[in-house]
Amino acid sequence: MSAGVCVEALTLTLGAFRLRKIDFAVSRGEILVILGPNGAGKSVTLETIAGFHRPASGRVLIGGRDVTALPPERRNVGFVVQNFGLFPHLSVAQNLAIARRHHRVAAAYDTALPAQGDDAALLRYFGVAHLAARAPAGLSEGEKQRVALARALASAPDVFLFDEPFSALDAETRDQVREELKSFLRELAIPAIFVTHDRSDAMTLGDKIVMLRDGGIMQSGPAAEILQKPANSFVARFVGVENILHGRLNEVSDAFLTLTVGQRTLRAAAPARPVAAGSPLCLSIRAEHVTFRCSPPSTQSLQAGINRFEGRVTALRSAGPLVTVSIDCGFPLKAYVLAPQAREMKLGSGSTVAVEIAAACIHVLDE
Amino acid sequence: MDAKAMLAADKLWRFRSASSRPGGLYLVCWLLGSLLLAFLVIPLIALALTQSGMSLATVASMADVRDAIGLSLEGAFLSAALAALVGVPLAYALARTAFPGKGIIAALIDLPLAVPHTVAGIALLLVFGRHGVLGEPMQTLVGLKFWGTIAGIVAAMLFVSAPYTVNAARIGFEAVDPRLEKIARTLGLGPWQTFLRISLPLARRSIMTGVTLTYARSISEFGAVVILVYYPMTAPVKIYELFLRFGLDQAASAAVLLLIVSLVLFVLLRALAQRGGQPQESR
Repeated sequence: MSAGVCVEALTLTLGAFRLRKIDFAVSRGEILVILGPNGAGKSVTLETIAGFHRPASGRVLIGGRDVTALPPERRNVGFVVQNFGLFPHLSVAQNLAIARRHHRVAAAYDTALPAQGDDAALLRYFGVAHLAARAPAGLSEGEKQRVALARALASAPDVFLFDEPFSALDAETRDQVREELKSFLRELAIPAIFVTHDRSDAMTLGDKIVMLRDGGIMQSGPAAEILQKPANSFVARFVGVENILHGRLNEVSDAFLTLTVGQRTLRAAAPARPVAAGSPLCLSIRAEHVTFRCSPPSTQSLQAGINRFEGRVTALRSAGPLVTVSIDCGFPLKAYVLAPQAREMKLGSGSTVAVEIAAACIHVLDE
Repeated sequence: MDAKAMLAADKLWRFRSASSRPGGLYLVCWLLGSLLLAFLVIPLIALALTQSGMSLATVASMADVRDAIGLSLEGAFLSAALAALVGVPLAYALARTAFPGKGIIAALIDLPLAVPHTVAGIALLLVFGRHGVLGEPMQTLVGLKFWGTIAGIVAAMLFVSAPYTVNAARIGFEAVDPRLEKIARTLGLGPWQTFLRISLPLARRSIMTGVTLTYARSISEFGAVVILVYYPMTAPVKIYELFLRFGLDQAASAAVLLLIVSLVLFVLLRALAQRGGQPQESR
């Protein structure tokens, strides 16, 4: 992988904090999101790639070049931080002019980008040429992001590093600049690493997700995999899985596991790893995979890979267009329904409902 | 809406919302505060209005008074420049590095503010005096004499006034977001370039305020100067001498002259320190 970033077995001690064996790779045109709670080591990892911390062991490769021993100014990285970090004492044009022109080591990215060194064209590309003489303080958040991207590009980076750039923004602005960033990154095709503790950032932007906790990787892989098949209950909770249940394994058949959860028997997709009958298990079910109707089924059934059983609504929590329905079906379960549908179904506390969950949507966690 | 219009709207909003603020509290704060303001300003006004036996013009024409004021301004300028030269780097080091005993160093910097200035003068005399631990070798080795020279005056001024520069600059550097420095590094600027083009300009206002305070404090210093260097006389020493020899009238006239000169300079320097810090909006 020449036009990308490769982090190999990175280990680092910083006071009481330790980064343990961090491994991942981003290739051209890809966005990798490092997700985790505060203190997980996300920013430290990013700053180690940028060259602000010297790792105890491991390597950082940028554009195929081992940069582990190089200072930040010689690594060809574009760094964007919270509030976008424009230099407040310089005008927009001066913010770009201060960047040293790197000689790009990796092969040139065939993008719509203007020739290197042409700051005015770069500002035009991002639609902010009219702001060249302005001070950063007066710009909108969207304009700040565009200038920050233009400035990072002025030094021809081989990778973009984003350190929670949206964490101080309100929800609406955040959604807007996030969409905008995504389309710019798609077009530029420069590899990007994006650090955040916000799962909606990860879901919107990430092609790949690296989930960090206490300086170690909990899970890494394609974004869809992390969101749908979290490795353990910590990842499941962090990516917002609504239903995390404890059960016991009864038997293993060809493609399904038969489990006891509460007073119910469920079928779930068999995990890749072997599991022994009788062992306790942890399951995750995303609320959007739970469907229900108001007419109750006659009996519990497990036909055709679909779990069907009866439940009783215990609570409704409305959040704008979406209603979260808590159902007691021998074990607690959460499901979503759109607000108008909830009204139509005359859903209320105590309503009896028929619940359906596909066995393939019940995921067994590693603990 | 452009930035200026937004700023104006914001100011208007603040002005209007002032009516909803706790008015009684602010009134009491202002009443008590004005007592202090009056205490500070009335003596200066009394001095300015004094009917002395000698006109300002007469005092201003006296060569020894003029020399003394000139020497004070020169000494204060040199001590402010020296404070900036060695104090600003110290402030940056304190703002950006962590080490055990940092609190002790910060306390040491503030120490001259707590020491009576006559005590400071005596301490400096032991070091920079004719037989002082630095005074003697400095004269024999490089011919720099601290007694009876402006070098001694500057040493005394610097000792009592340098903390203002170090503390203000440190606060200024601490207010510079370290992430801005990191961004500058990733944009290809080395550590020195980053300091000169990002950190220093961003802390400029605080540094200038500190240097102005150092300058002002240097002009006003009497205790340490009079013990280390009696001759040549700085303005405060000269005024003290006039007071002892000729009484209040002559001393008061010279005092008014010094007051005017230092006030004008102080106002000018403050205006200079507060200016800029933002890029030009229009071109």
